[in-house]
Amino acid sequence: MAHTAAGKLQGYPEDGYWYEAAYVYGITNGINAVADGLRIPLDFSNEPARKPLVQLVEPEAASEGVREIYKDIMAFYQVERVPNLFKVLAHDEGYLRDYWGAVRFVFEDRHLDRLTKEAVALAASLAAKSDYGTDLHLREVRRLGLSEKGILEVIQVVQLFSCYTKIADGLQLAPDFTELLHTSK
Amino acid sequence: METVRLLKEHEFPPELQKYFEGTKAWFNIDYIPKMTKVLAYHPEMSSTHGRCSRRAMVDGALKRCQKEMIAVAVSAINACNY
Repeated sequence: MAHTAAGKLQGYPEDGYWYEAAYVYGITNGINAVADGLRIPLDFSNEPARKPLVQLVEPEAASEGVREIYKDIMAFYQVERVPNLFKVLAHDEGYLRDYWGAVRFVFEDRHLDRLTKEAVALAASLAAKSDYGTDLHLREVRRLGLSEKGILEVIQVVQLFSCYTKIADGLQLAPDFTELLHTSK
Repeated sequence: METVRLLKEHEFPPELQKYFEGTKAWFNIDYIPKMTKVLAYHPEMSSTHGRCSRRAMVDGALKRCQKEMIAVAVSAINACNY
């Protein structure tokens, strides 16, 4: 809560930014939970190799409708192969279509640009210790132009706040930025 | 409710006043946040960890507002309400 208030003061004053960020780390956490739980192979650095616990729907075995969605996914991420997590969701074409629609909506430029959203997703993945999410979003922030210095900055913030949150929880600190938060725009 | 008693501002050593004023300015507030008080209980912790925090959160390749947003994401993933 303290950092939502600080962020509102420092350049993201409107709630729209914070709704979008919440969508990003929520969607990211949902994807990561399934991908890591099912040991879905990483898309960019599959070392050590992971063997998925469920069958993936490869393009050659997919319906025409799924292949069309795959094309859109590959264009969005600028990749030659569709990220493996979506091959799990493709067992239900309707679910894949709607979930991909949500992912695409959430990560497109709106209040926040796509690079900022990918940096948030990388942080959410690191904080959740998600191999799948870290692999995907590290690739995305690099592709979108974040420097290695910028990546180190994300790592520093994740480390610091993974520390602060545990101290706050352990001592049961009640929020003390509430009033400030609601007097922001 | 906190499991420790957080010290009042006047109970801290006078040499921490500069640190407290810096924190108030950093957040643009007129009180000392609880986490600042927690870290200041042992001044060695507030000086070392505090410097790390400032160093990490200033504008760099990413702007401070982006970093604050990343901090919120980490807090959400760690299910921390503070």
